[in-house]
Order: sequence, then structure tokens, then C-alpha cells
Amino acid sequence: MTWDWSFVLKILPRLMEGVWYTILVTLASSTLALSGGLALAILESVSTTFGRAFVCFWLELFRGVPTLVLLYFTFYVLPEVGIILPAIPIGIGVLGIVYAAYCSEVYRGSLITIPSELRDACVALHLSPNVTWRRVLIPLMIKRAAPALLNYVLSLFRETAVLFALGVPVLMGQANEVGYESFRYLEPYTLAGVIYLCMNLPFLYLLSRFKDKHA
Amino acid sequence: MLNASDTPRSDPFSAAAAATSNATGAHGSDSELQQALWAIEFQKVSKSFGAHQVLVDLDLQVRPGEKVTLIGPSGSGKTTVLRLAMTLGKPTGGDIRIFGESILFEATGKPISAGQETRIRRRCGMVFQQFNLFPHLTVLQNLILAPTTVLRQSREQAEVSALEYLRMVDLQDKALSYPSQLSGGQQQRIAIARALVMKPEILLLDEITSALDPELAGEVLDVVRGVAQQSNVSLLIVTHEMRFAREVSDRIAVFDRGRIIEEGPPDKIFGQPDSERTRSFLQSVLNH
Repeated sequence: MTWDWSFVLKILPRLMEGVWYTILVTLASSTLALSGGLALAILESVSTTFGRAFVCFWLELFRGVPTLVLLYFTFYVLPEVGIILPAIPIGIGVLGIVYAAYCSEVYRGSLITIPSELRDACVALHLSPNVTWRRVLIPLMIKRAAPALLNYVLSLFRETAVLFALGVPVLMGQANEVGYESFRYLEPYTLAGVIYLCMNLPFLYLLSRFKDKHA
Repeated sequence: MLNASDTPRSDPFSAAAAATSNATGAHGSDSELQQALWAIEFQKVSKSFGAHQVLVDLDLQVRPGEKVTLIGPSGSGKTTVLRLAMTLGKPTGGDIRIFGESILFEATGKPISAGQETRIRRRCGMVFQQFNLFPHLTVLQNLILAPTTVLRQSREQAEVSALEYLRMVDLQDKALSYPSQLSGGQQQRIAIARALVMKPEILLLDEITSALDPELAGEVLDVVRGVAQQSNVSLLIVTHEMRFAREVSDRIAVFDRGRIIEEGPPDKIFGQPDSERTRSFLQSVLNH
């Protein structure tokens, strides 16, 4: 087993393509997760029994079932009932929905920590529920939840690797394919690991800045 | 400290005063007129939390422009009175009217639109013990949020008026600060300005100095004195500052266990109270 630099140079462009897809999928599914999670948390807060039951069901379903099962189910089972979707939207959708469930818990937690007196102030200023949410509660929720949300985005970013199972050309998918084609696994997987690690750095930097700010 | 009235052009209270006189004149029949004479009126209001009865058949009226202070031991229901008036809670029984119109919108049985509801409630403003400024907004943003969204003022219009009130509480240089950068006294003065930009005709002040050092409390009370002297706004005050209560109020109501045990002009309440309970309460706070 020897490290072959010329092979590295040869596969690097394909891995870089994988990096591009990884970024695309991470951005799209984290947008879905962050906004969906917020919507779920608000829905739970403003609704009574039915809405709460719906949110509760949602959370248990998407946190309780392994992501891979959800991916395969959407990819292989749904076409049998006539719903055929390409792999990339499925990957983005499933990851987004699963992480929306996690994020909604974070949002819910931060909503609880907003003092009820601030809501009293909104009533005393006659703000409509819409304005109260949009201008007061949601900004405060996001501000308080940001560090924990960033952690989930980081974790979502790492989990994009499982999309190789559907053939989405994320970094892990590309490394896998290169390996199958050439029967050389050392360089593609090592490089994939190193690149994933490097892509983490911006997140870690952001997280440490949050920690400094809130320490 | 209160400069706003130096120039008549910028008197921020004239609008509220005008609105008050319109409101009292707008009603037709005699009974309605009678009711409309009260800025705020509690009719046999009761409130319980579970088995604990906080207010018992409370009758209390405040005239337009009148300054009324509620005093009494902690837990006697004073703050609950203000919270009910601000629709921060619903009474268990009775009715609360603002310029003759009930604020218990469901109890009246008459369907009422959200717009009407806001119009009636909007005549009331409130300042809280804990200031309750929005921590993520600057002072100026705190002041213009309600005028731009509720009164639909333009941003420029709202800012001009906000700066006027900031000048009035002597904090015009803090417009771009965040609440966390201000002292407690400054935050409370901002909170008063934030209530006043909505031009309330009734202002509810809920123990606004209780969270402050005596020194900081002084600057807040100065602002309220100014408001009381220069405006026609009705004040309903809950406070433990007896000297302030005596000086600023037209009338004092003494609360005990959810009832008013005595009410009258400050000189009488503090000088020769009728009730033994009032006397012992005043002794305990004044000797403190």
C-alpha cells in the first residue's frame, strides 16, 4: 500500500466536484431545516391539541427512523405509488426534514427562555400577533438558538455523506465511485476524510466566536 | 428634565388631550355620556387564580386626566388591576370599560373586529416594573416599532416623534444604544417614552421604580411628575413610593386582600385615614 501522488492529482477534480455537491446539498437542506424547524416550533406554540399532536408525530417519526431508511423508502418505495423524484431533491428533502425536527426542539427551547414579560410588553404596545412574532419573538429565538443550530448544521453537513447511497455525487459518493473504478481506496477515502475535516473549519471558527460572545 | 413643553409646537400631549375631549363628546345618549365620563371604569370586577381570590367585586373609576394611585400591602391585588385593564388577563367576573367601551370583547356578546378591539385598547398604555424593553432592538427601534406597525406611521414620522419623547426623558443621545448598554433608570425612562409615543389617554404604571436603586428611582419619578403635570393623560399608578404617591395623585385607593378599603385625596389618606388597617399599613411603610 503506497501513496500515489499522480493518482491523487488525477482524482482530485472529481473529488472537488463532490465538494461542490456537498456544499450545495448542505446549503439547501440546512435552509429547509432551519426554516422548517422554526415553522414547527411556532406551530407548536400557537396551536392547541391538533397542531401539537401533528408536531409531536412529526418529531417522533423523523427522529426515530434512521436517515438511511427514510432515504431508501423515498427513493425505492414512493416510485411504486407513482411518485418519482430525482436523487438530489430526495436527499435535500429528507435531510432537511429530519434536521427540521431537531432544530424545532432547539427553537422551542429558546422560545421558552424568552421572558413572558416581553410578551406582556407586546400586548401593552398593541402589537398584532404577526408583528409580535416577526419583529420580537422570532429574532430573539434565532439569536438565542444560533449556537445550537450551528451545531446541527455541522452535523447535517457530515451526514450529507450518506447520500452516496442514492448515488448523489457528494464528496463521499465521488470517493466511493473512484474507489470502485480503480480498486484503489487509500487515496480517495483519505482525501475525502481530510477534505471533510477542512470543510468543518469555518463552522468551528463560527462556533468558537459564538462561545466567546456568550461566555 | 422635561423640555418638550417649552415649545408649544412640540407638545406631545396635545393630541392625546384632543382625543380625550372628542371621545367624551362623541356619545349620544345621557347614559352613554355618563359612562364615557370615566376614562377607565371597573364594575364589580373579580379575579381568582384557582381557589385564591385576588380581586373581590372591585369598583374603581378614573376620570380623564385624573391621577389615581393604588397602595397597599404586597399581594393585595393592585398589580392585577393594571394587568386586567391592559387585557393581560381576564377577570373572573364583572366588566372593565375604557371610555365607556367594554374591553371584555367576548363577554359583551357583540362581534367585534380586530381593528375595533385595537382601537379601544389603544387608548391604554402600560409601563412595567422590569422595563421590558426589546433587547435586540436599539432604543429608537424600540420606540418606533409600535407606531410604525400599529399606528401605521411612516418611519420618518415615527422617528421624529420618538426623538421628541427621547428629548423629554432626556435621553436623546441614547437613540442608537441597546437597552443592555443603559442603566436601569435610563431603561425605565425609555420604557415610559415607548409607552407615550403611542399617545395613550390612560397610562398604567406598575411599580415602575421597584427594580431600581433609590437614586435611579428619583430620575424615573421626575419623568412621571413631568408627565402628570404637563399632560391630560389619566394615570393609574401602583407604587410603594409613598411620598411620590402623595405628591402626584389626585386620589389614592388603599387595597387590602382584593378590596379597596379606603379611598380619598392624598392629604386625607396620609393625614387622617378612616380605616385602622390603612393607618397600620402606612405606619409600617413610612417607618421603614
